[in-house]
Order: sequence, then structure tokens, then C-alpha cells
Amino acid sequence: MRSALQNMGGGFLRLLSYLGQLGELFLETTLAFFVGKIRPNLVGRQVVNTGFGSQLVVIVTGAFTGAVFAAQTYFKFSTLGLESAVGPVVSIAMCRELGPVLTGLMVAGRVGAAMAAEIGTMKVTEQIDALRSIGVHPLDYLVLPRAAGMFFSMPLLVAEATGFGIVASYVITVWGFKVPFAWYDAQIRAFTDLSDIGIGMIKGFFFGGIIVLVSCHQGLTASNGAVGVGRGTTSAVVISSLGILIVNFFLSLLLNYFFPLSAQA
Amino acid sequence: MSSPSHPSEEAPFIEVTGVKKSLGTQEILRGVDLQIRRGETMVVLGRSGEGKSVFLKHLIGLMTPDEGSIRVDGEEIVGISERRLLKSVRRKVGVLFQDGALFDSMTVAENVAFPLRERGIRDVSVLLEKVEKALSVVELDAHMEKMPINISGGMRKRVALARAIIAQPECILYDEPTAGLDPVVADSIDHLILRLQRELKVTSVVVTHDMKSVFKVATRVAYLRDGTIYFLGTPEELREHPDPKIRNFIEGRSEETLREEAEKTRQKER
Repeated sequence: MRSALQNMGGGFLRLLSYLGQLGELFLETTLAFFVGKIRPNLVGRQVVNTGFGSQLVVIVTGAFTGAVFAAQTYFKFSTLGLESAVGPVVSIAMCRELGPVLTGLMVAGRVGAAMAAEIGTMKVTEQIDALRSIGVHPLDYLVLPRAAGMFFSMPLLVAEATGFGIVASYVITVWGFKVPFAWYDAQIRAFTDLSDIGIGMIKGFFFGGIIVLVSCHQGLTASNGAVGVGRGTTSAVVISSLGILIVNFFLSLLLNYFFPLSAQA
Repeated sequence: MSSPSHPSEEAPFIEVTGVKKSLGTQEILRGVDLQIRRGETMVVLGRSGEGKSVFLKHLIGLMTPDEGSIRVDGEEIVGISERRLLKSVRRKVGVLFQDGALFDSMTVAENVAFPLRERGIRDVSVLLEKVEKALSVVELDAHMEKMPINISGGMRKRVALARAIIAQPECILYDEPTAGLDPVVADSIDHLILRLQRELKVTSVVVTHDMKSVFKVATRVAYLRDGTIYFLGTPEELREHPDPKIRNFIEGRSEETLREEAEKTRQKER
């Protein structure tokens, strides 16, 4: 019993210590935006890596999620004569939850893993020490461009995934299940507005922050050679994904307070 | 155990006083005192795992001591921020890391040009000229466009050396420059260190356990043992030193060899 409590206590302290390290990295990175050296070419490269490089996964994720969600909603709603509600249900779900969360998870897997692996490899092969010895701050060179690229790309990726999800739901509902376009269009316009898309993009911004912070931290603290880099990469994806899911819940409550769903009906 | 002997009375370029460092529960440095004079080549000698590389990283602020003081060119570097270090000591000192630590996403030429680009030099013709010159010093100007993964370990070290010298530092730190290289390449690295010291008049700190290299490049030698400087003197003083611990290290005699020798002596006596 006592050892179980000790283990729990130890785990809690480790969690606090980890959150403290993330907080420190967050503060240092925020500071670096003001006092560090911003390299536009590296930021551009990261926008290409994160934004352009994620096109396929984001489009496929958004489109097929929208399509399957529309189909399942139609199957149930059609028995109740609510076919016209399929459009707004899908659009609100895509804008507010599915778009940002699924995009976040996909980007964590694709970009977060790469960040942790690249920076981790540089750490264990002394390339980060080499940067420092040359007079380059690793945060300025490695974290800042990735953060800037992510903050720029992630909200746009979320909007893109959401857009493709809604288009796919249109294709399934109007073309596939022959729901009249006028119903579909009128109901979507009645229940969805710009604030829904804004919520998704705000969430995308926060999720991007989680991915950058967690992945860069895993890379910068990597040790024990290839094994350590592999472990750090896995941890980056797992922790980012869990962080996105947990933060999403609280962010939903908070954003719903500012942009309440019920006000639109 | 130290034996000071050098005519220069000039202020030291690097002054290390009472430096202690623990990693986890292991005490690595237990109070290191060492002065490195301007223009000399100081070899820090010691067995693997004695903390030589840890000591070297302290000299440029890549690691922070638990206690003690480190002054580089008259400036205290312990306790100052990373950003201040970048603008002060890191501009004066170049480092050759053990495995080169070349940036694997860049070509050889881009690696060598990196310190200059970071100092704001953007003119391609100027960069090219300086890169060619630095690579010609290490005799690798024919390999500019290769990626680090496509060149040998010895070549990587020489490229790293070109990167370390291109910004004309006042001091170069070498971390195991000849480790893992064949004797011929190791010898060429030793010659490069000597040449840089002669031609560029740089202060050099070489961390190694390669005895051949020690006697070739050193102006003075510091033997790091049990976390302190056990011996400090010239290579000649080291070679003639009667202390059995130093002799065993120089001659590369392990505990097993010592036991075998003692056994043979006992058998002869019988």
C-alpha cells in the first residue's frame, strides 16, 4: 500500500517536473520571438514542411471524416425524417471538433515525430553543441522557425480539413443520398457561421503550440543515442496526441462560453 | 605533483579555478585548477571516462560547473546567460568535436560556411573564397559538394576543423581529434594542429589519450586523474616522470599487465 502511494507520488512529481520543463521552454521560446534572431528562410522552410507537406494527410483525413460522418448521420436521421439536418450536424462537428482534433493528431504524427527525431539526432550527435559553439542559440535556430511555421500553418490546415469535410459531406448527402441542395444549403447557412470556423482555427493554433512544445522538448532532451531518439519520437507523438485530446475538452468549454452554440439557432 | 615551467608571464587566455562538476551521483571534476597561456597548445590527458570532454565543454560554457570560476580572455563565463556567451566567448573560441558534429543536412561547403553566414556574411563570392581557403588548409577542397554522410570519419574531422577555423578564432578546443582514426590520418590531424598553431598563432586545448599525439603537439600537458589535475608540465617532464601512475598511463599498462609483470618478477626471483 505504502509503496503504491510512493509510486503515485513519484509519478505526480515527475509529471509536475515535466510540465515545469515545458513551461520553461514555452517562456524561453516566447522570449526568443522578441530577443532572438528570426531566420525568414528557415521559417519558410518550416511552413513548407508543415503546411505544404501535410496536404495529403489533411485532405484525406478531412474529406473521409466528413464523408463517413455524413453517411452515418444520414442513416439515422433519415429514419426520423431529419435528412435536412445532416449538413449542419456535419459542418458544426467538423468546424468545432473533428477538424481541429483530427488535424492536430495527424500533424502530431507527421510533423511532431519528425521534429523530435531531427532535433534529437542533432542532440545526441553533438550538432546542437556545435551550433552553440558557433554562436547560434539552438532555440533561435531550431525551435523558433518550427514554432513560427506551425503557428502559421496549423490554423490554415484545420480550416482546410474542415472545408474538405464539409465538401465531402455535400457530395455524400446531395449527390449520394439525393437530399435537395436547397435544404442542405439553407440548413448549413442557418446553423453554421464564421465563429464556428474561427473556433476550429483557434484550436488549431493551440494544438500547433502543443505539438511544437512537446516535440521540440523531446528532441532537446534526447539522450542515449538511437534508442533515446526513438523513445523521444514515440513520446512526442503520444504526449502531443493526449495533450491535444485533453486540452480540446477544456478549450471547447472555454470557447463555447465566448461563442455559444445555442445562440445561432 | 605539478611542475610549472614556462617563461611567459603574460595573462592566461583561459583560467580555470576550483571547478567542480557532478553528473547525477558521479563526481566528475573535483576541483580543477589550470591556466592556459595565449598561443600555447595545452594537452589535457586522461583515461576514458575521466571527464576530459566534460572539462573541455566547460571552457566554452557548453556545461556549467557546480562550483568554481572560468575566465576566458579575462572574462568570467560562469553564471552569464547563454545569449551573452554567444556574443562573447563563443566568438573567440572554435571547437572540434569528437565525431566532427557536422550538420548532416548541409554539404561540406555549407557546413564550413555556416559560421560566416551566421556572422552576417552573405556575399557568395566572399564565402566561396573563404570556404575554399579553409578547406585547402585541411586538404579537402575537392570535396565541397559532398554530404557529411558520404565522407570518411577522418575527412569529417578535417571538415569540422575547417569549420572551426574559418572564423579565425583566437583559440581552438579539440575533443579527441585523433580518436578512431587510422595512424596515418591521425598523424595528418596532428600536423594540422601544429600548422594552425604555427601559422595562425592560436591557443589550443587538445583533449586526448593518444600518447603519440601528446608528444607531437603539446607545449604543456595536464594529466587529469580522479577529477583533478594530477600532473602539469612539459611533454619532456611527463616522459621522464618517475610517478608509477603516470608511467603506467604513458606506457599503457593496465592492472592485468601489472599483475602479469609482478608474477614474472616473482618467478625470476625464485
